[in-house]
Amino acid sequence: MADMPDPTHDLPLHPLEFRILLALLEGASYGTRIVEHIEAVEGHRMTLYPANLYRRIRDLLARGLLAEASAPQGADPRRTYLRITAVGRAVARAEARRLQELVGEAARHRLLPGS
Amino acid sequence: MAHRTPRRRLYRILLRLLPRDVREQWGRDMEEVFAHRLARDGGSPLRSVTVWIRAVADLLGHAAAERWAPRRGGKGGGWRMTGQDLRYAVRAVGRAPVFALAAVVTLALGIGSVTATFSVVHAVLLEELPYQAPDRLVMVWPEENYNKAMVASTLEAVPALESLSGYSVWDFTLTGEGEPREVKGVLVSAGHFELLGVEAALGRTFTPEEGEPGRAGVVVLSHGLWVRAFGADPDVLGRVLELSGAEYDRRTVVGIMPAGYDPLLGEGDLWVPLETDPSLSPEEDGSWFVNGRIGRLAPGIALEQAQEQVRAYALAIQARMPRLLDVEDARTATVQPLRTFVAQGLDRVLWVALGAVSLVLLIAAANVTNLLLARGEARARDIAVRSALGAPRRRMMRMLMAESGFLGGAGGILGVLLAYGLVHVLVRSAPADFPRIQEVDVDRAVLTFAVAVTLLATLVAGFVPAWRGSRANVVSSLGGGARGAGGRGSSRLNNTLVGAQVGLAVMVVVGSGLMLRSLHRRLEVDPGIRGEGVLTLHPNPPESRYTEASAYRQYYAEVLRRVGGLPGVRSVGAINLLPGTQSNWSFPTYPEDVDIAEDGTVPSVNFRGVVPGYFETVGIPLLRGRVLEAGDRTDAEAVLVVNEAFVKEFWPDGTALGKGVRVFSRTGAPYRVVGVVADVRQHSRKEEPRPELYVSYEQWGWGAIWSVDPDVPISGLDELAAVMGRSTGTTRFLALLLTGFGMLALCLGAVGVFGVTTYMVGRRTPELGVRIALGGSRISVLATALRGSLTPVLAGMLVGLLGAASTSGLLDSVLYGIEPTDPVTFAGVSLLLVGVATLATLLPAWRTTRRMDPVRVLNGD
Repeated sequence: MADMPDPTHDLPLHPLEFRILLALLEGASYGTRIVEHIEAVEGHRMTLYPANLYRRIRDLLARGLLAEASAPQGADPRRTYLRITAVGRAVARAEARRLQELVGEAARHRLLPGS
Repeated sequence: MAHRTPRRRLYRILLRLLPRDVREQWGRDMEEVFAHRLARDGGSPLRSVTVWIRAVADLLGHAAAERWAPRRGGKGGGWRMTGQDLRYAVRAVGRAPVFALAAVVTLALGIGSVTATFSVVHAVLLEELPYQAPDRLVMVWPEENYNKAMVASTLEAVPALESLSGYSVWDFTLTGEGEPREVKGVLVSAGHFELLGVEAALGRTFTPEEGEPGRAGVVVLSHGLWVRAFGADPDVLGRVLELSGAEYDRRTVVGIMPAGYDPLLGEGDLWVPLETDPSLSPEEDGSWFVNGRIGRLAPGIALEQAQEQVRAYALAIQARMPRLLDVEDARTATVQPLRTFVAQGLDRVLWVALGAVSLVLLIAAANVTNLLLARGEARARDIAVRSALGAPRRRMMRMLMAESGFLGGAGGILGVLLAYGLVHVLVRSAPADFPRIQEVDVDRAVLTFAVAVTLLATLVAGFVPAWRGSRANVVSSLGGGARGAGGRGSSRLNNTLVGAQVGLAVMVVVGSGLMLRSLHRRLEVDPGIRGEGVLTLHPNPPESRYTEASAYRQYYAEVLRRVGGLPGVRSVGAINLLPGTQSNWSFPTYPEDVDIAEDGTVPSVNFRGVVPGYFETVGIPLLRGRVLEAGDRTDAEAVLVVNEAFVKEFWPDGTALGKGVRVFSRTGAPYRVVGVVADVRQHSRKEEPRPELYVSYEQWGWGAIWSVDPDVPISGLDELAAVMGRSTGTTRFLALLLTGFGMLALCLGAVGVFGVTTYMVGRRTPELGVRIALGGSRISVLATALRGSLTPVLAGMLVGLLGAASTSGLLDSVLYGIEPTDPVTFAGVSLLLVGVATLATLLPAWRTTRRMDPVRVLNGD
């Protein structure tokens, strides 16, 4: 892991990029399943359209945060499966830490209930 | 993956906008995501249109980014316009500035009109209402006789509704803040704002307790009123206002709503809680009726479920209280999406308008195709040379498309500027009650639409000319002078263009013709009143000084005396509700000889209080008996005047004079009918007259009337004709809009026919020259030209008429007094089009033959 690039270079992540990385933490997946995963959490706050989604995905691929994965047994071979890379995992972790600090600051200013 | 539907196929075609490598690797997955989007959000036709528009915008935006600014790891675009193409386009346009100007202006007219119309459709129909989860908001009907207690009982009986708010629109008088002012207030259930999911911009909305009796002395102000009356002073929170109108005379300001908050279309300057006694059942609640009910569906509930439950509830109430609710009203009780209610039934006509203006754009694009084709022929030699030097066809097409792209881009920019102007004009000329008109704007969505429309129009206009132009015939072009390309195929294409333009123009002009005829019909309807030359005014006796009925009588007597004494005033009268306005009073009425069962539905009749002189002043003719007179006072016999509709409804044999009518209860003392007057269309010319009765203020009592509808400040002078004209405002506006499109379609169509004929006659100049040289008369030459172009005109017209006949039914809901297939309109439009086409043909043909010198023609100059 000596040549792992500094994950903080990629921060802050675009919210959709972070969402895509999170969706892939559970294992390799493909476009529509990723969209369903995101919508299950975000509801109508995030409505995804194909060109936007795939531009982000291609960007993440180009930056090495995602990689193409082989389709699982019995899956439609025409779908492109994606998985998160070690770099992607490190960047997602760094982004989560960044957001945690942000939330901590909001709490200090009493923006959150119970804070 | 799911089976490919036509929609997915269409989307796959759109994917061609993306560079090939992207499309090949990801296209299939993108289609699948789109299908998911459509399945999830495209429930109704309206929503699927929204999904499509967003998907196209999504593709266009990202496709442009891919091609002009490829991301890391991506390759450059496949058909990226090179600088060379662009330079070529600019040079080509520069060489023919008149042609370029004509093409740009034509496209701009089409694009501008489509964009402006879309901005209205977008604001009124597509944009989400600005409330939380607006898709679950509904209106609950029946409209009439819904008392306050029924609001709570509906909510109990209909589990499909999560919450329900009743509202009533009321006039209030705000005093003690400078000039007294008349303001529109809305009484709403205490949970109204939570139901919509909106919060106050300043302060708060109502607490649940403030809906209880004795606790409702609070008010929430609109942003507009806060600015107008209080100069946007935040300290107004907590202040006690003198606000008379409903139940309380003083109310504490608890909140200010954000700007633009107005769920009821311009009806709210302020909101006060609707006081409801929770212990009353619908049977016991004798207070008054609410105007409307907004509800929120429980999550996951379908509209149909709610509709069924509301109908069942209304039928149950009808069975319990037959005097309150009509059986028909109960049967038709329903639930309607708030969005539909807000659109006021204009959705269909607005789509029709957008369709019509899209046809106009097509006509404009066809005109530009024409121009480009003619140019293409002039440039055939240039293309042939390039082709002979080895330029591939693909490269030529790209070059020619760059030219139309340049023209299209300029047309698009000018079109958007035009759209800004048009939107401004539309918003200003729309009637005030046109739904959501203030939200109409050229915003980001509209601009995206304009870009898409421009691309589409450019493609439509430029593709065929580029295709034909790039197919250069080297031998004939280089060998046979400048008249190379063309021939039979070319004139067939020209004929098709003429036919298509005429057909499209016929459809648009028929639409505007129908709207104009319908408007004319409606204005022809006699409202029963002479509104011209009648001035109205709305006086306001300050409540604090006029507490007694006698004081009111004196005040009004004095107003009437003084107004009557003004020079030029011929007569004066007064009525509690002016004709042409939307307010109404109707009371349970028991006419003599009409059998009303103890538990049957009691007829409700329009009630008007008048001051003698009213009928003469507004010109309502007396048919029988006499009108109300000064002598009809409390010490004389109680009398009233009815209208003709009343007699027709209750005494079909026509005997009315001398009969008794009881109002409100079946046991009270009856009024005796002393006169019958002609019908008045009280609300709009569209509605049939309703039974109506007129009682003198003197006998009904001033206090009784004014305590129900408290006075308001004098609100300016209006001609009665103008007040009544407002009821036809929307029809007038739509008719004007469609007529504008019709004129544009006619002009562009005529220009198209003119252009094609000029071009065709020009091409046939040698042939015509020979004919003239051989002794043919100019007339016969003109006839030949006319024959040549009238065939496609007539064919196009026939197709257009068929198209119009099959689509004009969409206008049915806004037409009045004519059928959508009105033969007069269809015949008139046909004649008009034939006339215009004949002129557009003869003019260029005549010009050519007049200038023609057979000798020069035969020499080939």
